[in-house]
Amino acid sequence: MVTEQLDRRAELTRLQILQAAARQFAHTPYSLVSLDDILADANVTKGALYFHFRSKHALAVSIVEHRTTRGQKAVEDVLARNLSGAETLIDLSGLVAAEDIGDPVARACLNLVESIGRADGLARRVLNEWVQGFAGIAKRAIGEGDFTADSDPEGIARLLVSIYLGVRQTSDLDDPPRFLNDLEHSWRLAMPGFVEPERLSYLNQFIRRRTAVGIKKVAPLCPRTERQERHDGTPGSI
Amino acid sequence: MARQARSELTRQKIITAAVDLFSEHGYPATGLGDIIARAEMTKGALYYHFDSKESLAEAIIDDGGSAMLTTFRVITETSSPALENTIHGLFVVADFTRSDKVAQIGMQLLRTFSGINAAATRVYTSWLEELTAQLNQAADEGDLREGLDIAGAAEVILGSMLGAEALSRATATGTDLRERVARTWDLLLPAVVSRESLDYFREFLARESLRRTKAAG
Repeated sequence: MVTEQLDRRAELTRLQILQAAARQFAHTPYSLVSLDDILADANVTKGALYFHFRSKHALAVSIVEHRTTRGQKAVEDVLARNLSGAETLIDLSGLVAAEDIGDPVARACLNLVESIGRADGLARRVLNEWVQGFAGIAKRAIGEGDFTADSDPEGIARLLVSIYLGVRQTSDLDDPPRFLNDLEHSWRLAMPGFVEPERLSYLNQFIRRRTAVGIKKVAPLCPRTERQERHDGTPGSI
Repeated sequence: MARQARSELTRQKIITAAVDLFSEHGYPATGLGDIIARAEMTKGALYYHFDSKESLAEAIIDDGGSAMLTTFRVITETSSPALENTIHGLFVVADFTRSDKVAQIGMQLLRTFSGINAAATRVYTSWLEELTAQLNQAADEGDLREGLDIAGAAEVILGSMLGAEALSRATATGTDLRERVARTWDLLLPAVVSRESLDYFREFLARESLRRTKAAG
């Protein structure tokens, strides 16, 4: 009984540290995040942190793993809705976007995949899982006649994941309307490449309607003002 | 804690036995004695949980009703547009009433006890509230006709879904509920959906047959 309680307490502390770290990694580049900032935010001792995580890197990897496990649950929820394959892919992409915009752990996860992921095969593993998951659904969409019979499910999946990761770089997660519109435009440009022509107008509207609802519902992680400074240097902005 | 869990298990066992018997012989022909025998327990155990056959029916109506509502909410809690969720959700509920025995018998008892039993009223009220909330959101999202009476529309939708279930049940096979729900929506769409969204929703409805293929396979 007592050990059970201790285990629970330890698990809670671990989660507290993970979440505090995620809040840091969501906004600050990996190399600039200090363990002291995480400690202050999580309100735990250095000993507690090192008890759970050997290093900053171990902490970062744990965030990615925590997120991907939780992400699988969310994916199952979308699959349980029983929509067609094409609709499911659009909804999943929207879900990834909504969480990336509003949830520090999700945001930190993809930031870390981009920054430290190249080093030890972490990105390959995470992105491969994502591509394989999408490929299975794309295959269904081909069977249902939404995607053209001659298209390659894995090719489509790879393209859709690339689009998401690309828009993540070129657009702005802290400006949800812009981000969701940019994502929608990329999908609409890509879809004629693999969607049956007579299904295209329906699926375009399907996306449009979700973008509209998403813009209304999603709240960004941090206030706009903080971000505007960061934009000053980027090409294309005023 | 352990005792509570055991007691809940007993209650479930009684409900399962009752649902089986009601579906084999019908509610009127089933006696409490049959249920006790099927559940393999004592009269005392049954009377501890239910003081009459009607209170057992009430429990089944409640359980079936809340299972159906939970099924619907799994769909409506997502961030998709509310009217899409409502239409798709009602198809999913229709499938669910076909596959889930408690929901199936719950629906039959619901009809039997309408206006007599508080559980029946609870089920209807919670569905009306749920549908009204969804339609209000759909109006916000611009999918409903201007000036549509939301509460009235929720009643018509609920009424026609319950009616479709009753008619489908009355046929020999009872397997055509999906088609009936589709026909009902086909007629309801122009009455509730805004002109700009109507074409989209006609296609959305047509695609329910595509989703069915997947649900079956």
